[in-house]
Amino acid sequence: MHDSVTRAIPASAPTSRKPRLHSAMALAALAVAVFFGPVWLTVIPAWLEFPVATVVGDAINWFAREASIGGLAVKDITRLFAEFIDRPIQGAVVLLADGLFSGRGLDVKQSVPPLSWLAIGGVAVITAWRLGGRSLAFTVTICVGFLVLFGLWQNAMVTLSNVLVSVFIAAALGLALGIWSFRSTQVENITRAIMNVMQTVPIFSYLVPTLLLFGYGPSAALVATVAYALPPMVHNTVLALKSVPAETIECGRMAGCTRRQLLWQVQLPTALSKIAVGLNQTIMMTLNMVIIASMIGAGGLGFDVLKALRKLDIGSGLEAGMGIVALAVVLDRVSQAAAKRAAHGKHLQPGQQPLWRLLAVWIVAATVIAWLLPLAQLWPKAYLISTAAFWNNLVSWINQEWFDVLDAFRTFALLQVMRPIRDFLAAAPWTLVIGALAVAAHWTGGLRLVIYTVSLALFIVLTGYWGPAMNSLYLILIAVTLAVLIGFPIGFWLASRPRLQTAANLVLDTLQTLPTLVYLLPAVMLFRIGDVSAIVAVTLYAVAPAVRYGMVGMSQVPHARLEAAEISGCSRWQTLIWLRLPAAWPTLLIGINQTIMMAFSMLIIAALVGTKDLGQEVLIALNRSQVGEGIIAGLCVACLALIADGLLKAAAANTAIQRHRKNSL
Amino acid sequence: MLFKKVSGIASMLLALTLGAPTNASAAVPESDKPIKIMIADWTSIGLQGEMMSLILQTYGYTTELVVADDSGRYPGFENGDLHLAMETWQTTQQNNLAKSVATGNVVDLGETGLAGVEDWWYPLYMKEKCPGLPAWEALRDCAEEFATADTAPKGRYVGGPVSWGDHDENLIAALDLPFEVIHPGTDAAMFAELKAAYERQAPIVLWVWKPHWVPSLYDGEYVQFPKYEDGCFDDPAWGPNKTATGDCGKPYGWIKKMGWAGGEDVWPCAYQMVRNYNMDNDTISALLVEVDLNGRSNTEVATEWLKANEDIWRPWAACAG
Amino acid sequence: MTSIPGTEAQHGRQREVIVQCRNLWKVFGATKHAFERADGAHLSVEDFTRKGWTAAVRNASFDVHRAEVFVIMGLSGSGKSTIVRCLSRLIEPTTGQVQVEGQDLLAASESELIKTRRSKMGMVFQHFALLPNRDVLGNVAFPLQVQGVDRTTREARAAEMISLVGLEGRENHFPDELSGGQQQRIGIARSLATDPSLWFLDEPFSALDPLIRADLQDELIRLQSQLHKTVVFITHDLDEAIKIADRIAIMDQGQIVQIGSPADLILNPANDYVARFTRNVHRSRVISVDTVLRETTPSDTTAGPAVRPTERIADVASLVVESEHPVAVLHPHADTVAGYIDREKFVRVLAGLDPQ
Ligand SMILES: Nc1ncnc2c1ncn2[C@@H]1O[C@H](COP(=O)(O)OP(=O)(O)OP(=O)(O)O)[C@@H](O)[C@H]1O
Ligand SMILES: [Mg+2]
Repeated sequence: MHDSVTRAIPASAPTSRKPRLHSAMALAALAVAVFFGPVWLTVIPAWLEFPVATVVGDAINWFAREASIGGLAVKDITRLFAEFIDRPIQGAVVLLADGLFSGRGLDVKQSVPPLSWLAIGGVAVITAWRLGGRSLAFTVTICVGFLVLFGLWQNAMVTLSNVLVSVFIAAALGLALGIWSFRSTQVENITRAIMNVMQTVPIFSYLVPTLLLFGYGPSAALVATVAYALPPMVHNTVLALKSVPAETIECGRMAGCTRRQLLWQVQLPTALSKIAVGLNQTIMMTLNMVIIASMIGAGGLGFDVLKALRKLDIGSGLEAGMGIVALAVVLDRVSQAAAKRAAHGKHLQPGQQPLWRLLAVWIVAATVIAWLLPLAQLWPKAYLISTAAFWNNLVSWINQEWFDVLDAFRTFALLQVMRPIRDFLAAAPWTLVIGALAVAAHWTGGLRLVIYTVSLALFIVLTGYWGPAMNSLYLILIAVTLAVLIGFPIGFWLASRPRLQTAANLVLDTLQTLPTLVYLLPAVMLFRIGDVSAIVAVTLYAVAPAVRYGMVGMSQVPHARLEAAEISGCSRWQTLIWLRLPAAWPTLLIGINQTIMMAFSMLIIAALVGTKDLGQEVLIALNRSQVGEGIIAGLCVACLALIADGLLKAAAANTAIQRHRKNSL
Repeated sequence: MLFKKVSGIASMLLALTLGAPTNASAAVPESDKPIKIMIADWTSIGLQGEMMSLILQTYGYTTELVVADDSGRYPGFENGDLHLAMETWQTTQQNNLAKSVATGNVVDLGETGLAGVEDWWYPLYMKEKCPGLPAWEALRDCAEEFATADTAPKGRYVGGPVSWGDHDENLIAALDLPFEVIHPGTDAAMFAELKAAYERQAPIVLWVWKPHWVPSLYDGEYVQFPKYEDGCFDDPAWGPNKTATGDCGKPYGWIKKMGWAGGEDVWPCAYQMVRNYNMDNDTISALLVEVDLNGRSNTEVATEWLKANEDIWRPWAACAG
Repeated sequence: MTSIPGTEAQHGRQREVIVQCRNLWKVFGATKHAFERADGAHLSVEDFTRKGWTAAVRNASFDVHRAEVFVIMGLSGSGKSTIVRCLSRLIEPTTGQVQVEGQDLLAASESELIKTRRSKMGMVFQHFALLPNRDVLGNVAFPLQVQGVDRTTREARAAEMISLVGLEGRENHFPDELSGGQQQRIGIARSLATDPSLWFLDEPFSALDPLIRADLQDELIRLQSQLHKTVVFITHDLDEAIKIADRIAIMDQGQIVQIGSPADLILNPANDYVARFTRNVHRSRVISVDTVLRETTPSDTTAGPAVRPTERIADVASLVVESEHPVAVLHPHADTVAGYIDREKFVRVLAGLDPQ
């Protein structure tokens, strides 16, 4: 779903054996120096830390409050913009969720109802039927039914209004940026660098500046959401345009296309199915943002989740969260079907009505029905279903019956495993940690990667966030190890069971779109406030890509080789270890990379249960409206993520190259 | 929040066609600019915000409820993005409010009549394990009752999120309590631990404030620390520890309304209504139970109360004629 | 070898020159300036490699005449695709000249170039290059749509082209619903939609199965006999080249090593490279009847069948073998006898014994 940061650094050749030895010896020398040398090699001295955060904070505050461009205050320009994007959201909310009201205060009355659930739900189902056939229509019906019967409809429509506008803006902007980057290498380099950072900086860290610039309310939420959901769209647009076959473009040029004709009539249509991948990721990320958006005024299902959890009504929180999942599933599956259809083209069958006409007829019919039959407008409260009590009781039951076991496990994990790792990382001399990173970079990627890695690490040192960063590293390390240890075997197991894969994908989608808070609080109830709960939540979230890549990796082994192994009498374990794992290794490395990226994006949420890491720093800065601190701590998270990404990408490329060499010998 | 803005326009149209609404005098509203009322992530501010919003709307004002963060609200108010907030707690926001008022962009609109109470709180069943409670000295002796494996032998105290301030660390040091403070990132996590512990009748002591639904749902009481007085925070000689500051409980205190100073000129009568607004702990606590435990919406609960108590709130709007 | 006057005309030497290409260089990685500064025209392949450049086309010069099928062939990577793309400036040549119907293509502005491509050029691609989101009709009408031709006109024209390539009834199918052979027929129809005078085909049949390839080759020959386009055809398959070419240019590492009729190449290879290329081609397939012509002798009668001098030996073999009387060879454009087939020589050629 999140596409990881791509090609942060240009691939450079991995280092061969002899220089490897040299860099390892350099590290050993450094270790000796640290041991016998001055203290500042071990503990970061004060003179190495600069008050960057304050400067950045002041600058942003000045920009948001006092700066002006050509006599117009920046503040006013951004407010105008906010006003402008507020309109479509308002329009959508009136149409889908609220309708129009008359009267004020205590005399408010609805004068025009919104479109009924029957109308909107029907539109979704009919569209799904036309685009994806019966099975898609069935899925969509279930989702619509769920929202209606569980009483989530109206808030789901508020969320949908926000999501639709955000996705539209993110998609349009992403497409434009993607096209621009595709056309100019310089622009591409700049956007890629920005997008890589944007993907890894936690959203909480730019929330305050967003609020400063765009005011409080749905439009600020929208701006933050768009910023968050934009990168995969840009990235996939560039990739998709690059993947258009050269011949197809030549065909367009030979037909005498102008540049614009070439873009709109040849390149974009041909690239559509790949651009759709980006669109889907954008949709998913927008839905990931629903909770955070509702914290700053977007309302809707996100607010339901927050409200329920604030009362510790975990069941209702789960239901509202599943409402978000239902929206995600509908939007994702329908948009995929639409893109597939647009990319391959399909004509109406004889006698088939155009979709828009069907939908128009349906909306009119459903509105008349809803007018005659109130039940079709608003599902009566008396017929609502709720499973909340069941979930609440389940959590309470586990809490009462299993707490001792869980607590023993927690104590063991905390004292025997986690604390030692944390303390080790906290005590490790900063120079040695950076040295070790440099050696790893040298081995996997060469000199350029070393410079890249070391400068990112130095940023953390200079801005004074080394301590929290090591704490983040420790959380990520443990969570990712767990996610990989759990996720890969499940993925391997699923790879040979294609029938289970549809169901598995649904579960994975759910894990990734269900607001994390929904499982964070039960985790707190069972594992108390602290690092164990944080790790449980991060692991649950990050396990999805591990499963996915495990699945993909395993199914990539060439058949011929498997048969050869079978003939030579390999046992299943032998085949796994000698054949499948090595063949899947590059993919698995990318999977680990994705898992790490996911884990990083969850740090900030984990901070809600009281970690002491960078995420917590960002959260504190957010709560105290400290613009500079928030951004710098966020950038430190990005630095850590980019370091991990750079090293793993290089390692993956490295193994792929070596494999290639071996095969071609 | 949105439909109210729209409804403002709709009712303006109505006013043009049907004549002025009965209960609005010619002078009010002074402006149709929406009044943005801040709400945040705890229930009472949302409820009181909704009340004020409904009252203002009744007199023709256009209002919007805007979600913001407790401590993060000040830039919004100073910028004029937020106009009114119905709750500012002395216990945590005293300094922030004072600083913000000092900029000249924010006005203090007076107390709500509610008193905020917050401090260390434990479920009643803990009295059996630690009979000396609620006196704070008892905590010294039965700290181990509150310990978990990772804090032992010290007791475990679940404090507020780090950003709420670190008075608890001072308190522990000043009173020499064998306790360790665990900070959650959010209050929801705090109460999740309480719920889990309460279900198991397990030991816990944590930060709880009032008015809130927790003290209504769970039986418990506050630890009695030396009562806060001026001087406790800055005069070491004050209190049981003669050499340290902070040797007292948290200040119990007012909950104030605040507003954007510029609004005073735009909607003077509305600001007057807010100044007049006055409630008491019991009323609000009862309404909170309706919202938090019985699952009703703020709007519903607020409307019901306003309809039943017109004699109380109509006089607040004297300036509207 | 006796030559009959008139056969030259078959090769179009006297015909109007449509494409004139002189000293064309394409060096990937080098700008024109860098190339000239390095005196690129005198560099060896190794020199280029050392500079990190790829010399895809080296100093190519040739003419293509009206209504001629000009085939460029060579091994993979020899620069065929590059050369044909230079002729339409899909690829910007490094230096050299290209004239199309008298227009200096390399001096043309972007808009002139677009105009030329729209009105004069059509191209067929190896992998069809169909637009997946358009149906057959939409694909074929695409070049017309780009020119702003109105819908009815362009669809009528497209339908005409579709029936020309034998795909009537499939107008509303989408590319992924058709076989490879059918897809390439669409590619052909599309390239002809604007009725270009110059027709480029870059390995149009390489991606197809042998049987379908043969079908489409016949189709191409049929179309060409109706349409008389000026054709530049790229292939790496000598049999294909022989089957359709009037003239063939052989490329090796970016250089054109020989240009000539199929028979020229086989009978008089310019160097070892060409000879190795053509070694396995049966001579009878390229050698025309006039090469086994002998003078009329008194014993000859006209009772036997007669053939034209341009016919290939392989094509008349059964006739010659089954005839009881000697077979007469007529003059190219008249029904008078130019001579008779020398049976012994004929058999030697057929059997591949004649070394020529
Ligand atoms: N865009 C390019 N950049 C750099 N080198 C190129 C480029 N296009 C082609 N080349 C190189 O130019 C040489 C000629 O390529 P070209 O595609 O013209 O060969 P070809 O004869 O058409 O081969 P094939 O039969 O495989 O199509 C090759 O060495 C190729 O690698
Ligand atoms: Mg080629």
